[in-house]
Parts: sequence; C-alpha cells; structure tokens
Amino acid sequence: MAENKQNREPSKMEALEAENEKKGMGLKARRRVANIISYVVLTIISIVWLAPFVFLIFQSFETVSTGWSARVWPTKWGFDNYVYLFSANANFNRWYFNTFIIALFCCIGQTLMQIAMAYVLSRFRFKMRKPLMNFMLILGMFPGFLTMIILYTVLKDLGMTGANAVPGLIIVSIASSGMGYYVIKGFFDTVSKSLDEAAMIDGATRAQVFVKVILPLTKPIIIYAILTSFMAPWGDFIFASYIAFGNPAGYNVAVGLYEWLGTEQISYHYTHFCAGGVVVSIPVIVLFLMLQRYYVEGVTGGAVKG
Amino acid sequence: MATVVLKNVKKIYNGGVLAVHDFNLSIKDKEFIVFVGPSGCGKSTTLRMVAGLEDISEGECYIDDVLVNDRPPKERGISMVFQNYALYPHLTVYENMAFPLRLLRGKEKMTNDEIYERVTDAAKILGITQYLARKPKNLSGGQRQRVAIGRAMVRPSKVFMMDEPLSNLDAKLRNQMRAEIILLRKKIDSTFIYVTHDQTEAMTLGDRIVIMKDGFIMQVGSPTEVFDRPANLFVAEFIGAPKMNTFPAKLVKEGKKYHVECFGAKLPVEGEKADELEAAGIDTMEVTLGVRPEHMAFSEKEAAGMFPCEIAVNEMMGSEVHLHVNTLDNPDKPTSLIVRIPTVGLTTEQRNNLVAGTKIYIGFEGKVMHFFHPLAIQDKIVQAVAARKEKGVSINTIAKIDELGEDKARSYAAELIEKGWIVERKERYVATPEGKIEAERIKDTNLLYGPGEEAAASQANV
Repeated sequence: MAENKQNREPSKMEALEAENEKKGMGLKARRRVANIISYVVLTIISIVWLAPFVFLIFQSFETVSTGWSARVWPTKWGFDNYVYLFSANANFNRWYFNTFIIALFCCIGQTLMQIAMAYVLSRFRFKMRKPLMNFMLILGMFPGFLTMIILYTVLKDLGMTGANAVPGLIIVSIASSGMGYYVIKGFFDTVSKSLDEAAMIDGATRAQVFVKVILPLTKPIIIYAILTSFMAPWGDFIFASYIAFGNPAGYNVAVGLYEWLGTEQISYHYTHFCAGGVVVSIPVIVLFLMLQRYYVEGVTGGAVKG
Repeated sequence: MATVVLKNVKKIYNGGVLAVHDFNLSIKDKEFIVFVGPSGCGKSTTLRMVAGLEDISEGECYIDDVLVNDRPPKERGISMVFQNYALYPHLTVYENMAFPLRLLRGKEKMTNDEIYERVTDAAKILGITQYLARKPKNLSGGQRQRVAIGRAMVRPSKVFMMDEPLSNLDAKLRNQMRAEIILLRKKIDSTFIYVTHDQTEAMTLGDRIVIMKDGFIMQVGSPTEVFDRPANLFVAEFIGAPKMNTFPAKLVKEGKKYHVECFGAKLPVEGEKADELEAAGIDTMEVTLGVRPEHMAFSEKEAAGMFPCEIAVNEMMGSEVHLHVNTLDNPDKPTSLIVRIPTVGLTTEQRNNLVAGTKIYIGFEGKVMHFFHPLAIQDKIVQAVAARKEKGVSINTIAKIDELGEDKARSYAAELIEKGWIVERKERYVATPEGKIEAERIKDTNLLYGPGEEAAASQANV
C-alpha cells in the first residue's frame, strides 16, 4: 500500500505541473499555435491538390512538344495546342461533340427520371414502396462496372457499340438514373403535403400539383440534379472506353485524351492533351459557377429544413 | 349551396385502426356545422373524407344528393381552409388567390379580367388589398389566414370547409378572426363545415355542433341544446369553461318529491326537472351529479341546502372569480369543485375575504342539476382504455383504478375482453414521421385496447 501511495504521488504532481504549464501558455498563444499547425497542413494539402492543375494549364501553352517533361514553365508560349485541338487533323472536335451530346441527353433524361422517381416515392403511398426503396439502396451498393460485360453484350446486339457508342452510353446512364433519387426525395419531403392537398382542392390534377407547386418550390434541387447529371458524363471513362471499343469515332473526351497518352502518341500529343484537359473543364466550370448558389442550397436544403 | 349527407361513414386505417365509427349526419343547405372534440377524435378525418383527401373505408358521402365517394376533391365542388394556411410560398398573395381560378377549364374558364375582379373583390371583403403583391412569408399569421380564406372564397364552391383555421393564431387575433368568420359567413352564405377543438369557437360559430370522441358522435345539437341538455358526461364536461363539476350523489324519491343527497346536504329537486324525472320513472338511485360552475351559489354563512367547503385556490379573472374549493364532508378524500362567481355582485370586503383557506358554503338549485348514471368499475376500465386509444392500457394501470389490485383487475379485464368491450393486442400501430401507420410489436402482452363506445353510452344523461 505504502509503495503504491508513493508511486501515485509523483504522477499527480506531474499532472498538476503539466496543467500549470498549459495555463502559463495562455489561451491566445495556444490558439495561435493550433492555427499555425492547421494552416501549414492545409497549405501542403492544397499544393498537392492544385499542383497538377497548375502544371496542366502551363503545359497547355507549351509550343514545343517534347513528350512528358518535368518542366512546369513552358519553353515557348503560344496557343498552338488549342488551335490544333479544333483543327481538322485532330479527332478532338468529334470527341468533344460526343461528350456534349451525351451530357445533354443524360442531363435531360436523368433529371426527368430522378425527379419523377423522387416525387412518386415522396408523395404516393403504395404497397411495396419501402421494400422497393430498400432494394434500390442495396442495388446501389454494387459498383456499376459489375454490369459491364452483360451491358456490352446487350448494346452490341443493339448495334450501339464502337462508332455508335453515343446512344448506347446515353441509354445506359439514363436507365439506371432513377436510383439516384435520394437527395431529391429528401428535398421533396420537406415541402408540406398540405400544399399538395390545397392545390388538389383548388382543382389541380396530380400533374398540375407537381408542375405548378412542387417544382417551383424545389428549384434548387432540380438544378442540383441537372448539374450532377450534366457533369458526370464529362468525366466518364470506364463505360465510355469499353463501349467505344477502340473506335475513335465513338470516344468521348476522357477516352480520347487518354488515347493520346499512349506510349506511341505521348511524345507528339502530350501538350495537346494538356490543352484538351483545360478545354474539357471549361463548360463544367462555367455551369457550376452559374448555378453554384442553387447547388449549395440543393445539397444542404433537405438537411436543414427537416 | 348544398346539402351534405354522411351515411354510416367509417374510416379504417391500414392495420385496422378505426378512426371514425359509423358516422351519420345530414347537413342542411347553408347550415354552419361545427365538428368539435379533443385531439384524435376523428373530426379532421371526417372533414378530410368529405373533402376527398382521405378515402372513405365504408359508408356513403353525398354532396347535393350526388354520391362523391370516388370523386377527386376538385369534382366535389368544395373549398377548404387549412390549419397551417397551406399558401403557395412561391406565389404572391394575388397569385395565391387566383390559383384556383386559373385552373378552371371548359365553360367555367375565366379571363384574366374576370380573375382580377374576383380576387380584388375577395381581397376587399377580407381587407387584404394592400398585401396583394406580397409573398406569404412577408405576412403575419392573421393576414396569411385571411389570404387562405380568400383563396377558398374566390372559387365557386358548394361547401366551404375550415380545418382548425384559428389554431395557429394568438388568443387576441383568434377572437378577432372568429368575429370576422361570423360576418364572412353572412356574406358567403354557403354550407359551412368547421372543425375545431375549441368549444368556445364551436359554441359561437355553429348553427349545430357535432361533438365527437374516439371516432364516435357523442351528440349533435344547437349550442343551446348541447349546453343545456348534454347527452352524456363527456359532452357535459367538454362544453362549457370551466368544465362542469361532476361528483357522486344520491337521488332520492320520497313520495312524489325528489331530492339529492351530497356532501352531507339535502338539496331539493323541484319544478321542470322533477317532472322530467317523474315522467322517466326514475326511482331512488346512485347518480353522477353534474352542476356547472356558474350555477353554483356561495354564502359566507351556513344556510339550508348548502354544504361547507374550503377555498383551495382563488383565480381572479377580472369580471369573475373562479374558486377551486374542497368539500369538507370527508377530510380524507375531499372532492374538488369549481365555483364561478361574477365580481359585479361582490362587495370589496367579500372579494378580499375569498382567499385560500376560507370556509364558505356552496349550494345549487334543482333546475341546474344534470343527472348521469354513475360509472361502474367496468365503465371506468373501458374509459381508461379508450382514453389511451393508441397506446393501450396495462393490467397494472387497471389495478390502480379504485385500488382494485392486480387479481381483480385481471378478472375484470378478462370479463370485458369476453364481452368484446376491450381487446388484447400483441401489436400496436404507430404513425411514422412520413405519416404512415406501421405495426409495432408490444413487449407487454397485457396491453388492452378498445373503442370504449359502451362506456360512453352507459353514462348517458338520465
């Protein structure tokens, strides 16, 4: 016992000293140290994250294509790469157009599917509604590429692979889009049901309730749906690459640009690739900046309105 | 302008919860009818069934002699004001009011000028012309309520429905709007169905009042009828504020005369009341006696036909005093009564003397007495079960009724289950936040549920 007591005493004392030391440092000083540490960490993370973009932008203005190089600053500045992209020699025009068409149709189709799905699951009460939602939740947990082989076979039979990959890609993305209804349903749920009832008493049909009451009130989430469904095809690689199956006429930008990074082409196309990367990101950035306000409202709206 | 007839209407929710039992009512043309009752009594459900917002599980609903069970709300020719106003937040007040008119099609279709005329006319009546360009979020509660009424008014409709329209307003505004609804009713001159849980609103607005409890109609009658001749103990206690005093008493018949014995006093029953008892062939019996607080007289000195009480609480309301008194006949188990005394008849000295602890004498005349059959233990159990309709009652709770003890409680419960008055369930139905009814397993298998209709019937006014 005595030994134990003696052992315990110093540890208590140490704790007290540590406490005093902390107190001595002062709240302000401690906060400053904490701030410095977090800023240093954040700066490092930002540099790691932004460096590739900066690198890409600078290299896109390099006129002397030497293949991949560790150099950041171009040896000679110019817009040659951008001019090349839209010249008749490059396939880039075709890829860009393909991607734009896919994005446009996906954007319309997916948005319609998702809002319709979300409205039905939010407002209608029918048998198997809950099991259906659970089933879709479980189905959504499987990675999409598990269906690649069967989808390819089906699309091939329909003649939608290779050069005709564009309609195939549109169909594939729209067909599965209904499962992404969660966020939109959450937002629809925040709109009081008595508004639906009031509108129905006022003489509106279900469709009129949806168009005249629900849609105007859920504008942010509709814009969120449009944005996300437009943006997704711009970065799509796996599906786009195997459905096009090596036929450049069916490529989207991501697949096409990746082709330029192949060992045979990289030395000639590397700087074109960089310029292509910049051009690809422009429409998405513009769209995002225009609709950013709604995007934030759409994502956070459902959560806080509860 | 239309009649509304409800024949044997029932509402059974998924899972078997009976929200409205066998509702029969005939509403006359241009009548103002009020559904009143405590929360969960089925009044809003009934209204929503008439409106077409809820399916009718059984029975028939006719508007203007047309069966409307399977018709959507817009084909029923109704307009409705909701408790939470349900204004469209993205539209201005003008557009909110014009909304139902813009949806009219065919022969009824209106031009913009006609819509403008109708909306501005309604806005003038409701005094909201200056707010027409505003969005609902920039209006106060009272103004929003007016807009909601306006929206319902502009649409040509046969029946005008209001579902607790004043519940979200503060007390002062509620009084003001209540008066406005009375005036509005004269202007609209339509058939009204009004739902409220506030008995004052029901009494002041309704031509007839439908008092409901646990999905049953307890009484239908004019405000005077339900106040003067409540059909049962529930109606007696529900209508009138403060609520009617009810307590056990003995009604004694001596020769052709009646008197009541309670709290050690002997109070004569004479005149019309005695004639009624005589006509009904009532003999000496134990009763539950009901006397309204405003019908009780008090005296500072002992007097014949009065019994002693001690003031427990004095509530000074300004124009009247509410005295909460305890009877002194049984010091171990005093009965609490409320006495309402107008201050205008009191001297300053009397007012100052009416403080807690003072002994006073209370009495009442025979003509203000209401007689009810006393509650048997079975009735008390059924009532307790009915009071917790959704949650059920455990044997332990029943054991506490009149200190029955668990064994007696079990045997009583078994008897009542046998009779079908109450039922034992292993599942209960709970509402999810989405408004869906789901079954939930009950851990305590002794939970008892039941409609409690017999309990209500057994307390019928003598």
